Amino acid sequence: MWEFLNDVIRKTLTGFGERMAAFGPNILAMLVILLAGILIAGAVHFVLKLLLPRLGFDRFAQRLGLSLILEKGGIRRPASAALAAAFAWAVLAIFVLLAIGALNLQFAMDLVSRTFSYLPQVIIAAGLLLLGALVSAFLRRSVLIAAVNAGLPSARLLAGGVHTALMVLFAAMALEHLGVGRQVILVSFTILFGGVVFALSLAFGLAGRDLARGFLERLVRGPDSEKKGDELHHL
Amino acid sequence: MTEAIRLPPAVEARLKEVGTAEVLIGIPSFNNARTIGHVVRAAAAGLAKHFPGARSIIVNSDGGSKDGTSDVVAAAEFQAPSTILVSHALSPVHKIVTPYDGIPGKGSAFRTIFAIAARLGAKACAVVDADLRSITPEWIELLVGPVLKQGFDFVAPLYLRHKYDGTITNSIVYPLTRALYGKEVRQPIGGDFGFSGRLASHYLTKPVWESNVARFGIDIWMTSTALADGFRVCQAFLGAKIHDAKDPGADLAAMFVQVVSSVFDLMSTYRERWRAVQGAENVPLFGFPHGVGLEPVRVNVERMQGIFRQGSRDLGEIWQKALDKDTLGDVLFIAAAEGRPFHFPDSLWVRVVYDFAAAYERRVLPEDQLLGSMVPLYLGRTASFVLQTADSGPEEVEAIIKGLAEEYLRQKSYLLQRWGEQPGGA
Repeated sequence: MWEFLNDVIRKTLTGFGERMAAFGPNILAMLVILLAGILIAGAVHFVLKLLLPRLGFDRFAQRLGLSLILEKGGIRRPASAALAAAFAWAVLAIFVLLAIGALNLQFAMDLVSRTFSYLPQVIIAAGLLLLGALVSAFLRRSVLIAAVNAGLPSARLLAGGVHTALMVLFAAMALEHLGVGRQVILVSFTILFGGVVFALSLAFGLAGRDLARGFLERLVRGPDSEKKGDELHHL
Repeated sequence: MTEAIRLPPAVEARLKEVGTAEVLIGIPSFNNARTIGHVVRAAAAGLAKHFPGARSIIVNSDGGSKDGTSDVVAAAEFQAPSTILVSHALSPVHKIVTPYDGIPGKGSAFRTIFAIAARLGAKACAVVDADLRSITPEWIELLVGPVLKQGFDFVAPLYLRHKYDGTITNSIVYPLTRALYGKEVRQPIGGDFGFSGRLASHYLTKPVWESNVARFGIDIWMTSTALADGFRVCQAFLGAKIHDAKDPGADLAAMFVQVVSSVFDLMSTYRERWRAVQGAENVPLFGFPHGVGLEPVRVNVERMQGIFRQGSRDLGEIWQKALDKDTLGDVLFIAAAEGRPFHFPDSLWVRVVYDFAAAYERRVLPEDQLLGSMVPLYLGRTASFVLQTADSGPEEVEAIIKGLAEEYLRQKSYLLQRWGEQPGGA
């Protein structure tokens, strides 16, 4: 009995030892990759944080409206620091995936393979969202300024409408790329967009007949058709 | 550079035929068939009357007019009424009609005129607008004479204008140019100038022809370059400036952005030059200043005030990027003043302009947006000026404008302080 028990324990320990001997290097490799990832991510963060402000990135981000978007998102630090942190986290995430891959386990390999094959979509979707935020913020400001200068009383509403419509469009494009509820998004967007256009057409046609007439008159006959009572020559 | 400008083969051939010219009159045009004939005839008569011995040429640089402008110029007769001529031209006045190359705009038209002046070796040149109704042959004498006879390099026009005419000039361009470069040039963007061939060649060396200088920015660029680069500058009194009626409110924002961005760009280019300038001095004046009757100008003050007030409600987040905290507070206080008389003080307006100049230098926003957001402030200031001068005569109004110009000078230290601030300092 003791012999049998001893044999089982010995075989178990031997098997564990053999598996450890075979698997140990993988764990070691994983730890080394993780450590390297932390160091490289730290270095990337340090270099970018040092370099970007000197290259005038913060000024560029301010001009582009990126700083404003970050502020609205609750990120108070400079755009250069935020970008440096984002890059560092991205580098670290890649190394974590590589480290998991180093374990050489089937499920880990599947996870890494699936993640890497999905990564381009995620990056494109994130890029689309960022681009959408930038474009919509830029156009919102342009529309707002133009509408105020034209003396339109609902300038804010108009600018907000342009901003929202563009963000919805870019968000729909991002989700489409991720393959999330493709049909639902398409149908929802079509209904929403069509509804808005229909509502605007009705509003413009019924409530704004005079405005529409004036607009068309100016379009066809030129700006002279409307006398604003101003004869200033500004230059 | 001169070599970079392509001229049509027919124009090249004509230049070879003409060879050289001593005096050149340039007329930029775009759909000015109604008025350009009169301008060409006045220029030709001026050349015949005042410079009969000089080889002269009139150049029409056209932006692709569809109303037959070029045909009118080509057909214009140079036989001026003999009653106004004491002497007759010894050599015929030549004429060149050419389309210009580059960005559509007055600046590109001028560039072609400068290039032709350089090619012909012109000693003195003048440019006059094609939509002028009040031009007389004497304008040519007044614009070209100081260059040819007195050795000046740049002749700025001095017009009699209605008190509400030229509000961008009066509230920004004139007082700012005076404070920056220290010379009293009352109409820096008048549009009609005289200049030497040497200065025309100097203009061609500047790499500005893809910027707003190619459009409305050309006038202030010519004046500022002449002032900042140390050329001899004077003024010539031309009387009243009356030009063809057009919609004065047409795209004010675009015009405002082009002119003001050109002024601010020049501030950046010549920063070392204007930093050291203190005070302002008069420049020689040619001509005989006299009073003339001016047509009344209708102004819609309520609309201007409305846009200013709406700007204060809707553009706060943009103004915040440009204006100093105290300046913004004062602007919002004025905008909120429903019960009080509307008044935008000189000192506050100067701070607004200097803050925007510094913000433009720091590139806090794209130029169209930054300067576009300044339009409601400008309209608020203009509305205040109109109300302030409603019952004032021309001398009184001129004194008010001089007072504003002095305020620009007084606050120059504030500009220097804001100019040096780092991004995020607003």
